[in-house]
Amino acid sequence: MTNPMIDSHQLTKFLIRFQAICALVLLIMISGLDLFFPTQYALKAAVHGISAISALVVATYMTHRAYFLLRGGRIHYESLRNWALGATVLNFLGAVSGNWIYMRYRGQDGPRDWILQNVPNFHNVLMEFKEFISLFPFPLMVIATFTLFYYKDRINLRHDMKQFMAILMMAAWFFLMLGFMSGLILAKLRFV
Amino acid sequence: MKTNTSNTKKWDTLEQDGIPIYSGPIVAAALSVLLGLLTLVVTHHISRLTKGLDQMIHSYGYWIPGSTGTGPDGSIGSYSGKETLALLVWGVLWPLLHYLWRKQDFSLSALIPLVIWALIFLMLGLFHPLIDPVVLFIAGFFGYAVP
Repeated sequence: MTNPMIDSHQLTKFLIRFQAICALVLLIMISGLDLFFPTQYALKAAVHGISAISALVVATYMTHRAYFLLRGGRIHYESLRNWALGATVLNFLGAVSGNWIYMRYRGQDGPRDWILQNVPNFHNVLMEFKEFISLFPFPLMVIATFTLFYYKDRINLRHDMKQFMAILMMAAWFFLMLGFMSGLILAKLRFV
Repeated sequence: MKTNTSNTKKWDTLEQDGIPIYSGPIVAAALSVLLGLLTLVVTHHISRLTKGLDQMIHSYGYWIPGSTGTGPDGSIGSYSGKETLALLVWGVLWPLLHYLWRKQDFSLSALIPLVIWALIFLMLGLFHPLIDPVVLFIAGFFGYAVP
């Protein structure tokens, strides 16, 4: 039995958006609350964490659009262009802020010194891997964004181009996830 | 019924409004990025061989704020040089290859597995326990053998 007072279409739309906003706010709080941590590098840590989480959220959303491209379907390219541009900017911010916080990581009595003294492999293997793998998503997203802007909607005619772009988006997400996970482990191990 | 008797399309180059769609620009963008990332991996391993090589690579990155310095605030060290060299390779190759291939068409279906394997190779090239013996083996030919 349906209630005529409730528009189920509108309710579903509201709940989807509500869930997405709740998830985003709560996820961002993981790093947003860094601002109140007792360290003089709180701002650097928060900026890097928030940009990394935002980049990951947008990239994850984009992989869902990529599935349609893989199958050769037609999607709303104007919207995808904007999302791709947003993801590229967020990835860039993540990389720049990563450089910023990396200074303190390598600083005197910083996390690197502590990790090398106590659990050296977390630096020698994990961090050495993380600092470079985290640079992979930005150029990959640049290619995807460039392709979308260069070919505009005409890209819909070439199934191979759509497939290639979808794979780039998936690869960018994979490397972003690897970098994010390693960063989270290192931050848990020894905060700046 | 309209028949197409002048089908001279290479691969699956399609046209819209009389403008052919070439895949060359995508290949140029992808290849320049892969070579930029390869530069990142290679410079990283070179910098780990000796202090002199590390300083040489570091010197390319002095323009980046925070590339040098000590104390609690630290610096990014030779990471700045590796980033600079990778950006340089990417930034020079992309416009060059784009110009050369802007009206060429390549099979992207053939490129897709190549790109995936290249990315896997680059990723494994950053995993020290796996790649270090290979790096040391190659470095031995150049007189950088470490006991």
